[in-house]
Amino acid sequence: MTPRLALAGVTFTHPGADRAALRGVSLELTAGEIAMVAGAAGAGASTLLLVATGLAPRLVGGTLAGSRTIGARRCGIVFARPWTQLTGLCSTVEDEVAFGPASLGRPLAEVRAAASHAIRQLGIAHLAGRDPAHLSGGELQRVVVAAILALGPELLALDDPAAELDPAAADALYALVPSLAADGMTILIATPDVERAARVATRALVLEQGTVVADGRPADVLPVTEVGSLARAAGCPPPYPLDVPALLARIAPDAGGRAHDSSDAPPAGSGPDTGAIAR
Amino acid sequence: MSGWDLRIEDVRYAYAEVEALRGVSLAIRSGESVALVGKNGAGKTTLTRLLVALIRPAAGHVAVGDWDVALRRPDEMARRIGYVFQHADQQLFARSVREDVAFGTRRLGRHGPVDAVLEELSLASYADVHPYDVPAPLRKLVALAGVLAMEPGVFVLDEPTAGLDRSQRELVVAALRRRSALGVTVLAVSHDLGFVAETAERVLVMESGRLAADRPAREFLYDARALAALGLRPPATAEIGRVLKLPDAPIRSEEVAAAMRGVRWKQNPE
Repeated sequence: MTPRLALAGVTFTHPGADRAALRGVSLELTAGEIAMVAGAAGAGASTLLLVATGLAPRLVGGTLAGSRTIGARRCGIVFARPWTQLTGLCSTVEDEVAFGPASLGRPLAEVRAAASHAIRQLGIAHLAGRDPAHLSGGELQRVVVAAILALGPELLALDDPAAELDPAAADALYALVPSLAADGMTILIATPDVERAARVATRALVLEQGTVVADGRPADVLPVTEVGSLARAAGCPPPYPLDVPALLARIAPDAGGRAHDSSDAPPAGSGPDTGAIAR
Repeated sequence: MSGWDLRIEDVRYAYAEVEALRGVSLAIRSGESVALVGKNGAGKTTLTRLLVALIRPAAGHVAVGDWDVALRRPDEMARRIGYVFQHADQQLFARSVREDVAFGTRRLGRHGPVDAVLEELSLASYADVHPYDVPAPLRKLVALAGVLAMEPGVFVLDEPTAGLDRSQRELVVAALRRRSALGVTVLAVSHDLGFVAETAERVLVMESGRLAADRPAREFLYDARALAALGLRPPATAEIGRVLKLPDAPIRSEEVAAAMRGVRWKQNPE
């Protein structure tokens, strides 16, 4: 199978910058992969998304060295600041989402079908008749994701796609990602929200100063998360767990054979449960 | 640095046809650290903007210490309240990070601790860089640094940790805890309950323009049912505390880690 993206020794420098934002990056992404890109601010994650989708240097300028093959027939990118991505030409959300497929010259019926499918996927049917200019950041972010999905990209790059969303909406957006991948889409996610992304990613790339320093399963290569750091402080040996379920799974059962009450039901009272630790 | 009391009495505010605040009253004591949570559109940001006179209420009364906010301009309010916008780009304009951070304190006619604050937020190496050449999450820290350098008695922050990674978030938590220890009042709008757990002692919940709950942070963060109703999940610390039945409902990471000291760990994940 042709990879959706193949980079070999890619170095990219933004226009006017004195040092490269990506240095010697090599990677291949295939259909159905969900790869997250982690790294400190300025490590090059957003730049990698621009290069992967072909926007750099074509639209943003700069210079690219090394070999890049974009096998995906269409690429889509969602930016962290959704208002930068509106067409400014549409007075309803429905038209905004339909704009992409319409501009590809598809028949009207297909355009409408693609738009309404994407609107349903993002759960924004109630916004369909609203003016995009009057939406909140969170609403707009979902509109932009729908607009990109309506284009039917084979490679979808998400740059902190939940930055404007409240936690429930962020969870819903991330929950959509595996189903998109199951349909064969390749997904590349850059976000500081490592824990949420790690729940859906099949692969993690760790960038440091533009170089990929680790590439593997999220649990194996990601830097220590907040939960991991708490576990470390509580005496857990490495590798440190990424999230709460992983932390709980690391606790050895006590003599009675029970490590903890793993029930997910909320506590009976509304106040804190101040019962003693069950060991 | 010492804090100011905040008082909001039966405040109403509407954007064109949408009623954003429908009679909100609350009081925050000087030195308290309070989180304001609620869904998108609940009125959280509107409430904070009233405090700094960026908007004026249609009805009701807002006071910061002995100042009636109705009689003050936003630039006067800056003497008492440091406001950090949700989107840092709304408050950065100088040609270098250091100049930007120094701007507010200079406007107040003071010489605030600009370099110390840059150091505190790990921004010293960016001091001479143009704010727009700094990565987006760090721009947020630059905006916070500008407000820290003004040494106000009250901090009002709108989603101060959105878009930040773990180490940047820890810098914000530490900076706010230091100010709280000095008696500064902190009011933070946040969806990030991990941040709320680390910094707040009290949580106010907004729903459809009204104050729906006012609870101690410890109690609220362990109330999975109340959180679910707001589309929120407990922070990791409270989730661990609840499942392991840790004593005293710990919510800060160091409290949880200390309460877990006796736990026996498996050497490797299964």
